[in-house]
Amino acid sequence: MTDDLDTQDFVSNSDPPEPEAEDIPARFGELRKLLLGGEQKRLADLEKRLEELEIDPEELADHLPDAVALRTNRDKQLARSLAPTLQEAFGESVQRNPQHIATAIFPILGPAIRKAIAETMAGFVNTLNRAIEHSLSIRGLKWRFEALRTGVPYPQIVIKYALVYRVEQVFLIHRETGLLLSQATAEDLEGQDADLISGMLTAIRDFVQDSFGKAEEGDGGLRTFSVGERTVLVEQGPKALLAAVVNGQHPASLLERLQATLETIHLQFARTLTDFEGDSEPFETAQPLLEECLETVLSTDRPSTRGSTPIVAWVVIAVVVIALSALWIRSVVRWNGAISALETEPGIVLVDADRGFFRSQITGLRDPLAADPNQRLVESRLDTNRVETRWEPYLSFDPQMVTERARRSLDVPATLEFEVVGDTLVASGSATYDWIEYAQTHVNLLPGVGTLDLDNVDPVLPADLDQFRQDIENRRVLFGIGASALNGEAQELISHIALIFAELAAAAEESGYEVMLDVVGRTDSTGSNETNRLLSRERARRVRVALIANGIPRDVVTATGIGSSDQLAADDPETRATINRSATVVATITYSPRAGGNQ
Amino acid sequence: MIQKKICMVGVYGTGKTSLVQQFVHSVFSEKYHSTVGVKIDRKQVELGDTTVNLVLWDLAGRDEFEDIPMSYVRGSAGIFYVVDGTRRGTFDQVFDIKHKVTEAIGNVPSLVALNKKDLVDEWRLGQGDYNTVKEEGLYAVDTSAKTGDGVEDAFLWLAQSTAEPKP
Repeated sequence: MTDDLDTQDFVSNSDPPEPEAEDIPARFGELRKLLLGGEQKRLADLEKRLEELEIDPEELADHLPDAVALRTNRDKQLARSLAPTLQEAFGESVQRNPQHIATAIFPILGPAIRKAIAETMAGFVNTLNRAIEHSLSIRGLKWRFEALRTGVPYPQIVIKYALVYRVEQVFLIHRETGLLLSQATAEDLEGQDADLISGMLTAIRDFVQDSFGKAEEGDGGLRTFSVGERTVLVEQGPKALLAAVVNGQHPASLLERLQATLETIHLQFARTLTDFEGDSEPFETAQPLLEECLETVLSTDRPSTRGSTPIVAWVVIAVVVIALSALWIRSVVRWNGAISALETEPGIVLVDADRGFFRSQITGLRDPLAADPNQRLVESRLDTNRVETRWEPYLSFDPQMVTERARRSLDVPATLEFEVVGDTLVASGSATYDWIEYAQTHVNLLPGVGTLDLDNVDPVLPADLDQFRQDIENRRVLFGIGASALNGEAQELISHIALIFAELAAAAEESGYEVMLDVVGRTDSTGSNETNRLLSRERARRVRVALIANGIPRDVVTATGIGSSDQLAADDPETRATINRSATVVATITYSPRAGGNQ
Repeated sequence: MIQKKICMVGVYGTGKTSLVQQFVHSVFSEKYHSTVGVKIDRKQVELGDTTVNLVLWDLAGRDEFEDIPMSYVRGSAGIFYVVDGTRRGTFDQVFDIKHKVTEAIGNVPSLVALNKKDLVDEWRLGQGDYNTVKEEGLYAVDTSAKTGDGVEDAFLWLAQSTAEPKP
């Protein structure tokens, strides 16, 4: 247009117009056509195209796919712009007819769920492995011990030694005001006053920017700074900052992750961030995003190069466990053996048996006549020094104890056996007359015994008396054929018999027995019976007289002649004749407590 | 939760830090500590049935070498100007500071605290000065960080103003 005016000026200046007023427009138009024909045509075309510029749907349909692809390749703006619309459309569709969406996504639901479960399980197994490694490796045990010793929680000890890096806190900060929008803190840490930290971070960032010159929006500025072992990473977005407090050496990937999170937050909260007036409530939904940034990486999470250590530890632990188990099992077996031995022991009642690690205790009742319980423990190979025993005395009515008590208090001869039937003590075997008398009068003193049954007891003489009796009865006073006179040998024998009798009589009196002697005279089988009877009687009489002469009281000794009626047996006839021409003494010992003795 | 950034602005030694200490921790110290850069504190106040978390940026005071750094002021919901009633110069300068702040961040709810009211004998401000403040479109409050007089009222008034919808 400017060209046009210039030209007009030029024309009017160089060629002054003629006064034919009515011709002027027509001629002027002619001139314009001549001079500017080409331009005019182009102008008309452009005008036409401008009019047609209202979007033709068909043309748009042609170009739309290309345009979308082109923009998608260039940046993420299209996705960002479409996201809210798509979300709304999706929501609308679900509201109107959920069936469509359900049908559409059904094929991908199953695999997605399976994958999620598999990942959860894998994570769980991984955690389990880690826990086992931590608790069973030598290093893990060392850490546990240190935790016990110092009282510091075990996880903190692990972090102290194995930490590669840990994102402890993440803050989402409104860029302009420095106000805290949201924050996340690692589980076992106490969060600092996040409001103040976020303000200070912003102030520091502003200060750095002021001091080192204003950087262009979006790049430069304070990115990281260190405080002791901690590094603060600051990611800046147009509307908000994301600051992460990291303990340890963080990898570059962490920065990328923060960046991605910040981008997501800008996308999701674009409107809220712009309209922010100090209300942080809408940003609560951003917290899960921040929590995703919290991570702890330990050196133990990385594959260990020292694979042998755990195996050695395992072997050591296995050996120790086996040895301890063996010892334990042995001690249990011995203990149980000892307890059952005590339980079956007559006269012992277990009241309490408490098996401890270092000391054990046994308490119970013990009949004084029962076996020594400590002996039973020793027999079961129990260390009696580590067992404390307490035995209260009591009377047991166990048959064995009743019998034993009877044996002791009644001084029972070895030839007697006892059996307990109810409260009756049944004796069998043999016993001396004096013992039987004694037992019958003393049985009532025995606890647990009502009666004493002595029906099956053979009364016998006391052994010493019997011995004397036999000694006397085995001797024979021999005579010549048809003679009744006592020769020197016979006299000697008789005086010897008298000596034995003296001893017998003394012993008998002491235990309440009475001794009677009967001299029995014999003959050989020759001669008439009458002759023999008379001869035998004479022989007996003479011996009796001789015995009395030797000091035996007259009323104790009698004489009987039996002739040849009861012959003593011998192999050859001559010997038989010789031994039957004799007199023997039969001693009869009877129990007679009234005569004296130990009553 | 609603959060508001409030900036304490004024010449050095006017009592900005003391006012914050009095408001937040209810303490006062005679010792003078020069603030370097910025200190940030926080106090929750109840306005009606809403809780507002005031984040108080206590900026270093202006002196002959250093002006108020405007980057700290950015994003403030309210400005708390502080004048030392015993030093006339601090009163004169506050309007200059206010113009710079308004230039940087526009009009936000503001008030002027005429501090150190407890030093009655050394008070250098008269009725004319109060009128000047009014003419500048500012709300003036007499305060004493030492006795606490007017401190809470001033902060609450500012908090209330920031919470009101923008005109």
